[in-house]
Amino acid sequence: MKNKITRRDFLKAGGLTLLGAAGAVGVNALSHAGHDMSNTKVLAAPAMQHGDHDGTMPNTVGEVDHEKNGFNPDEILTDFDYGEVSTLPNGQTLREYEIVALNKNIEVVPGIEYPAWTYNGRIPGPTIRATEGDRIRIHFSNGSNHPHTMHFHGFHPGVMDGIPGSGPGGNVLPGESFIYEFDADPFGLHLYHCHSFPLARHIAKGLYGAFIVDPKVGRPPVDHEFIMVMSGFDVDFDDANDFYGVNAIPFHFQNHPIKIKVGEKIRIYLVNILEFDLINSFHLHANFFHYYPTGTSLTPSEFTDTIIQGQAQRGILEFTYRYPGMYMFHAHVTEFAELGWNGMFEVTE
Amino acid sequence: MTQQPTQPARFTFRTFILLLLPIILLAGVIALFLTTGGGLDLESAAPVEDLNIERYTLKRGLIELHVRNTGPEEINVAQIVINEAIMPFTITPNTSIPRLGRAVIHIPYPWSYGEAYGINVFSTNAVGFGVDIPVAFETPQPDSATFLGFTLIGLYVGVIPVFLGIFWFPALRTLGRRTMTFLMAATAGLLIFLGLDTLAEALEFANEVPSAFQGIGLIGIGAVATFLLLDAISKGQTNTSGDDSQRRLSVAFIIAVGIGFHNLGEGLAIGAAYNVGEIALGTFLVVGFIIQNITEGLGIIAPVLRDRPTIGRLAIMGLIGGGPAIIGAWIGGYTPSPFLAVLFLAIGTGAIFEVIYEIAKLIQKDTQREAMPMTVFSGVLTGMVLLWVTGLLIK
Repeated sequence: MKNKITRRDFLKAGGLTLLGAAGAVGVNALSHAGHDMSNTKVLAAPAMQHGDHDGTMPNTVGEVDHEKNGFNPDEILTDFDYGEVSTLPNGQTLREYEIVALNKNIEVVPGIEYPAWTYNGRIPGPTIRATEGDRIRIHFSNGSNHPHTMHFHGFHPGVMDGIPGSGPGGNVLPGESFIYEFDADPFGLHLYHCHSFPLARHIAKGLYGAFIVDPKVGRPPVDHEFIMVMSGFDVDFDDANDFYGVNAIPFHFQNHPIKIKVGEKIRIYLVNILEFDLINSFHLHANFFHYYPTGTSLTPSEFTDTIIQGQAQRGILEFTYRYPGMYMFHAHVTEFAELGWNGMFEVTE
Repeated sequence: MTQQPTQPARFTFRTFILLLLPIILLAGVIALFLTTGGGLDLESAAPVEDLNIERYTLKRGLIELHVRNTGPEEINVAQIVINEAIMPFTITPNTSIPRLGRAVIHIPYPWSYGEAYGINVFSTNAVGFGVDIPVAFETPQPDSATFLGFTLIGLYVGVIPVFLGIFWFPALRTLGRRTMTFLMAATAGLLIFLGLDTLAEALEFANEVPSAFQGIGLIGIGAVATFLLLDAISKGQTNTSGDDSQRRLSVAFIIAVGIGFHNLGEGLAIGAAYNVGEIALGTFLVVGFIIQNITEGLGIIAPVLRDRPTIGRLAIMGLIGGGPAIIGAWIGGYTPSPFLAVLFLAIGTGAIFEVIYEIAKLIQKDTQREAMPMTVFSGVLTGMVLLWVTGLLIK
């Protein structure tokens, strides 16, 4: 009889009409607690900025094993791969790359190993960098047990497009290899990724990387250039991301701030390859940046502090910090930020 | 059956070996299976994990999850996500939880009163285990205020109504034999209704029990054991004292015990619901409880109406019947456990059905003297309908 009520109907009755004096006391105590809590939150921020995580900030517990992963997001920041350089008989610069598709378990957040698919055992894959007009030659071999391809964004012939139906380069079977060859064109910030079916899974598993084509005239010199590839991980395979980050590892740059100096010119090559979610974004704290969408122009299109990128959109950011301090950068899709896409610049004099 | 006069059992060493033989062979088969896999390819692609989040407690700026590993293998907790934010946490005693082992996950989190939270616990195999906090509010701690609160709940829904029912005793004593039989039949009807309800409740809780603990089997054990035990006790009493009034008194006590277990289960449910902040028990509902539970007091005294039990005995019966609601509220409020709930409710089911059996025997004695089929029919039906109708009040 009444059990029915206690366990169902009461529960559904919604509001918190508590019984007894005890309940009423509890409610009062809690409404006060609510105010106290908001104070705590504010106070907690400075503590976090010193890298001292007191538990009020989202963060992972522990540190991933970068050595075992075979890559470190810090190193990826500045790891530009210019390839093996030679000159062709016609005088054109040839850049050759060896890239292998590998199955690899990556510890994406401390304690959780994700059965990733990688280019050269790292996520993102090598940042291929060339100058406009260079010849790119990729010796791609498939060391995994699934068919994979490399599909580059940029000008190239159809047979080099790396999609199913485009010939041998569109379906490189396990144990086989293919040479993708094309000219680096146009200048800008591009990307490459696997284009095998099912596409979403092949990208989400980690088969992507940045492709930078510098203009012949070069870009104005800066003090630091960083590559940041925004992505996520769907570790439970429900086609929704569980974790987000730049250069793969969630919260990495929150826990290991990027050290720069006041007045230094910074250039960020920002690529979004996030699967499943419609958009990603980048917000820089206490600063504004010049934004070059796709990097295909030397004139910035925007002076802002937040930009949005859909999947495969990318752009170049240039900025300088005026004041020393700890400055966040993160997805202003704040949900992503609290699931890992959050970092810090540590700016000193 | 065990006595075979011609062949007294002789337990020889040979018998011992023969008894042991199948067990030794069984051990051999298991060892063979474990080493060879028995020719079956049982390697699973993903480890089977099952983490049971038994309950949560909310303190200021802190969420605690009480978890139990009910999967076949050890589970390691890797990360916690609350409302789409990865939160740092600590875990005691260890991040690795052995099979059937328990742990408490402490997550500092500035939760807000009255809001809803979804928590996902990721194991190192990236298996997520979710728990929802539908309405966040500070979990009552065992302090004097909440202790008093739970005691009051139990008092209102258990003790007071049962005693109010017992207060009918002087009036009902003046009734005739036929009316008393009617009341006994009505009590049986009440109890049938209560028994079904207790069983249904036990089945519902059984779903929440980790599969390793086999909730349904637990109900069977609790109910059957209680039924047979009470039956044995009652038969023992009948053997020692053939006195009918003594017998009726013991039936009344058993009714009190059965109703007591029912109320214990009820207290557990109320306490647990209160604990998770889902309960909205208005005054009107408490009134409904009192009206409905008053019939329980009536049920307890029905068998002894023609006797002269002392006030002390009546008081004890009332306490046995109603008091457990308080104990249930404490247990449910502070350490809600589906396992305990199933066990208590199963015991209650067994006790109640045994009592019905006892009452049936008493009624049969009465009807042997004077046939009154319609009295029994209308009595049982009245009892059941009474609870059904008063139940409508609470709905």
